[in-house]
Formats: sequence, structure tokens, C-alpha cells
Amino acid sequence: MSNMIEVSDLQKSFGKLDVLKKVSFNIQAGEAVAVIGPSGSGKSTMLRSLVHLEEITGGSIFIQGKPLVENGKYASGASIREITASMGMVFQHFNLFPHLTVRGNLELAPRMLKRESVKEITTRSENLLSKVGLAEKADVYPAKLSGGQKQRVAIARALMLNPDILLFDEPTSALDPELTGEVLRVIRQLAEENMTMIVVTHEMNFARDVADRVIFMDNGEITESGTPEQIFDHPQQERTRIFLNQETRV
Amino acid sequence: MDYIIQISGPMLEGARTTILLFLIVILVSIPLGFLVTLMAKSVIKPVAWIAHTYIYVMRGTPLLLQLLFFCFGLPQIPVIGEYLVMDRFVAASLGFILNYGAYFAEIFRGGMLSIDKGQHEAAKVLGLSKWQTLRKVILAQMFRVALPAVANESISLVKDTALLYAVAVPELLNYAKTAVNRDFTVTPFVVAGVIYLLMTLVLTLFFKALEKRFKFE
Repeated sequence: MSNMIEVSDLQKSFGKLDVLKKVSFNIQAGEAVAVIGPSGSGKSTMLRSLVHLEEITGGSIFIQGKPLVENGKYASGASIREITASMGMVFQHFNLFPHLTVRGNLELAPRMLKRESVKEITTRSENLLSKVGLAEKADVYPAKLSGGQKQRVAIARALMLNPDILLFDEPTSALDPELTGEVLRVIRQLAEENMTMIVVTHEMNFARDVADRVIFMDNGEITESGTPEQIFDHPQQERTRIFLNQETRV
Repeated sequence: MDYIIQISGPMLEGARTTILLFLIVILVSIPLGFLVTLMAKSVIKPVAWIAHTYIYVMRGTPLLLQLLFFCFGLPQIPVIGEYLVMDRFVAASLGFILNYGAYFAEIFRGGMLSIDKGQHEAAKVLGLSKWQTLRKVILAQMFRVALPAVANESISLVKDTALLYAVAVPELLNYAKTAVNRDFTVTPFVVAGVIYLLMTLVLTLFFKALEKRFKFE
């Protein structure tokens, strides 16, 4: 079995506050995993530590068998860059570059990395924009886009680098409810194409429909994980039940 | 009318010095200010400390004092003073550059602060190096935010060039004052005022156009 991501005993503390307490999990190739749980449970911190946007204080992270951090000791700067390059990330607030057009947002990183010809890059950016349904917006600046369109551009931008793993940090939390559908459709399509992905989300229906596996986090720990049926229909833990009741009521 | 035409010649001559000083100072102090901004943000403490001290000193003392210091103060320093005698225009340019560099540094620092940290994060996850991020992501956005303040400083600079008067470098105001004393009339001051207004008008229009160009919409 090929583990794309292996996390063991991940710890992170801000001073006295333990944000992550010995979190361990594996993600297999082609798996779509939803991470749910109350605000402040450490979901985003866990996700961000995978791409080195957060420094962890203890534990290990292996990406495709390579140690990003092993027993709290990070790899060299060059290795970190190489290892995290296989992962793309989509943020809650899109983080598009406002001074670049949609096309410019997609093409900036590949053009900087200079691994392929400009022709290849522009062809791919056009294909990906069509894929997320925004081909006609290529020359528009992000300021002119709706939230849902921005997030679809952000997904296309992340895909430009052909990542093996895609991480979503609450991709629809900043959107108006009527705009979440168009973004979730794109993520669903990627899941159907067997992209390995971790989605931190508050969209319970989406987690249930799209995820192969659901991880429930509370208070810096993974307290329960399993198939969507196990988690949503037969939660074993009281905390999971309370959370799901609250989420489904609103 | 004839009189205005008659004095306009020498006054425009003076305005040339004004414009030359303006261009030298703008072209050097903007990059200097940017460099100081980067130094102020450096993780190497002494570097950041030097930048902050420089900004504090240049903003905390009068520009006129700085100009007098560079033109007449430096040569008075024991031992090394004799090597520090510069052409007064050069010395004054240096004073202006250092003074405006400090203000531009603060303007750019403000521009940097306005950039969301999500921009750095997105760039990092996309595999851009720190240097690439600065060049391709941060700089353009910082410049956009700083533009109105840069315009403001530039217009201040046009007017501050009149301080050359105090270090006896002949420029626009100097010619005007000479003409007033010589001809017993207020007209040269009015003409000088109009020339300053024309210069600031050009700048105002230039920065308006720049702002439009960098709207990103």
C-alpha cells in the first residue's frame, strides 16, 4: 500500500497552548479525506504543517516516503522545498495575486520554475481554466471575479504545478452560500479523477458525498475517523455526535 | 509683460537646477528607500537597527539642518574635514537623497505592512523563493499601495528644492529674490510661484496616470 502522507505524533504548541497533541494518520494515493471538527480544533494547523506553513514542535511527517520532518527535526531547506513541491494548496481566502490577471496567477510559478517551455505553460493554463469553467476570464484581474470564481482560479493555479497531493483549507468558508456549489463541483471532479486530497471543511454534505474517509478532530486530537457512513451515521464518540448535531441543525 | 519675458529667461535657467536636483534625488532616493525598507525588515538585528536609526535621525532633524551640515558642517570636522569639501550642489543633493530616502523607506514599509500574509503563503506553496516572491508578488502590490504617498513626497520635494537658497546654490527662488531686490517689484516672486505650480502640475498628472495604470481592474 502506498502512503502518500504519513504523519505520526504531530505536536504543535504556541507557548503553553497545545494546538496539536500527537496527531497521527496516513493518506493513501488517490484517497480523498475530509477533515471535520469544531473551530480551533487544530484542523487548519495540521493541514498547514504539511506544506511547512507552520513549524511543528514534535513528531514526523513523511511525504511520499521522504521525511519533511522526523521526530521534530526538519530536513534541510532545499529538501523541504523539494518535498513540499509535490503538494498544492487552496486557501480559505483564495490568496490570488491581485496585481496579476487570472492567466498571470496561473502562469507565474511555472514560469519562475522554468522547467518547461512557455508554450507548454500557456497550453496548460488554458486547459485548466476551461476545466474550472473560466476560460473566458483569462485576462481579467481577480478584483473583477466573484468569490466562487476566485476560488476556482485558485484551484487551477494549484493544479498548474501538477501536484500529487492537493490540500484544501476550508475552501468554501469565505463564500456566499449560493457560490459554494460551483467550487465543490470542481473539487468533486478532482476526487473522481483520483487526485489525492485532504479537505478541511465545514460542508458536512460534501464530506459525506465526496470523501473516502472522514477524520474528526477536536481539541488538537483526532478523536475519530472512518468511512463517511461510520462517522455520520454511526459515530462512536460522544463529541462527534454533539458536533454533528450542531452542524446539521444549522 | 516685457518685464516678465525679460526675467523669465534667467528664472527658467534657475528652474533647470531645481529640476536637475529633483530628478537626481527621486532617482536615487526611491531605490535607497526600498533598500532601507528591506534592511529594516532584516532578521539580522544589527542591519535592522542601522536602518531604524538612519530613519529616526533623518526624520527627526530638520532638512535645512541636514543641508547646512553637508555643505558647511562636514568640512569643519577635524582631520578628515578637508577631504569632505564637496561642490555645494553635490553636497546638497546628498543631503536631499538621504533625507528623502528615509521618508520613502517609511512609505514602502507601510506598503509592505498592508500586504496580506496570505500572499507570502500562496507564493511559498507555489514554490517561489523569497527573492522571487519579493520581486514578482510583493513589489508590485507594495508600489500600488505606496503610490499616493510617493506622489505626495515628490511634490514636497519640488518645493523643498527651494532650500538650496539657504546653501547659496543658485536656483529658481534665488533668481527670483535677486530680481526682486534689483528691480523693486514683486513680479519675480509671482513668476517663480507659477513655475513651481507648473512643475507640480506635471507631477500630479503623471502620478494620476500611474495610479490609473496600476489599478489592476
